[in-house]
Amino acid sequence: MHPKVKATNLSYKINEKKLFQNISFELMAGKAIHIQGDNGSGKTTLLKIICGLTNQVKGEIEKKLDKQICFLGHKNALKQYLTVEENLSLLNIINHPDLKQHLIEFKLDKSLDINLSSLSFGQQKKIALLRVFLNNSDLIILDEPCVGLDNQSQNYLCRFLNKELKLEKSILFSSHISLDINSEKLNLSNQV
Amino acid sequence: MNIIKFELLKLRSKSRGWLGPILVFILIMVAFPLTVEISNKDLGNSFFAVLWIAILLVMMLATEDIFLEDFNDGSLEQFAISNISLPYIIAVKIFIYWLLIGVPISIIGSLFCLGFTNSSNLAINIFPILLITSYIFINVFSFGNALSLTKGSVLGTLVTLPLLLPLLIVLGKAVISINLNLNYLGFVALLLGVLSIIIFLIPLIISYIIRAHLE
Repeated sequence: MHPKVKATNLSYKINEKKLFQNISFELMAGKAIHIQGDNGSGKTTLLKIICGLTNQVKGEIEKKLDKQICFLGHKNALKQYLTVEENLSLLNIINHPDLKQHLIEFKLDKSLDINLSSLSFGQQKKIALLRVFLNNSDLIILDEPCVGLDNQSQNYLCRFLNKELKLEKSILFSSHISLDINSEKLNLSNQV
Repeated sequence: MNIIKFELLKLRSKSRGWLGPILVFILIMVAFPLTVEISNKDLGNSFFAVLWIAILLVMMLATEDIFLEDFNDGSLEQFAISNISLPYIIAVKIFIYWLLIGVPISIIGSLFCLGFTNSSNLAINIFPILLITSYIFINVFSFGNALSLTKGSVLGTLVTLPLLLPLLIVLGKAVISINLNLNYLGFVALLLGVLSIIIFLIPLIISYIIRAHLE
């Protein structure tokens, strides 16, 4: 069985400062990796390398994916001047049959006609997470997905990700908070 | 189709993005005759110089944040990792801008031409030139904006401005040909040739620039 993502001796440095060195891992279908590390240890950079947004300085990365990566980074890719409904329409998930259930769970079902700029940071994060919940991908990459989320929403996210693992999807995420997700740990603080 | 819907919805909701440049264009064209003597019979002669410069400036204004907003909110990251090719997304984005800003300005420019020169023939002949020129301008200024995406858009557009000077010379020659009832189709063909190259080349170059900014 081929791994969905295989990283071999990945290294990255900014100018002469090494962020991480010789990182290797394999991410199989139905498995998750929790990337940990101090601030500035290169967690976001590593996730961006896997997404193909950034090039590694050294090493190789192989991806065997049938579908597009579902990525949620620090930026939500939402438009502040549009309503929640218009943003969901832009994300192409407005007609998804499961949307209503997630909106009710996040207590956003009554906020569809509200401008995104009127919502709190946490509520905006929940709208961005809907793209992850309604994904059609075999690799989910999340960069600090719990920032701004209340405990109830964090638990809902964990339950969802555990369900996705059972569907043989692969998950890579970075988080300072310990999440109840069955995952391997990859600590970047020990890698320089 | 989704990317077209995406861009149309965005621009339609942000009326400042498309209505602003059109209003600035109208303002320049209305203000122009006020600055010269009313009795000036040569108003029509200087009209075209003002028209081209006005379109140039307005297109510069229109493309000011063509990529900046998507860059800041993370939409460009999503485009870059999507299965749809980035040059295609950029080409669509530029096309939508032209459709909502370039086409209305071309129509209004033709109407002003009719008003200033009293020649319906000239107004009709100038319309395709305006359409092609506005599309070329939007493409080139988009390239400039992509260049200086993280450093303020003015710098990049100023760098690309000299690229358009030869085009202004061609436009001047085309107008002279129309005025003298000479065959001006050669100039239209030349403009179309330029457009057909940059319409493919510029989205491709911009995609590389954007990927570099995203790193």
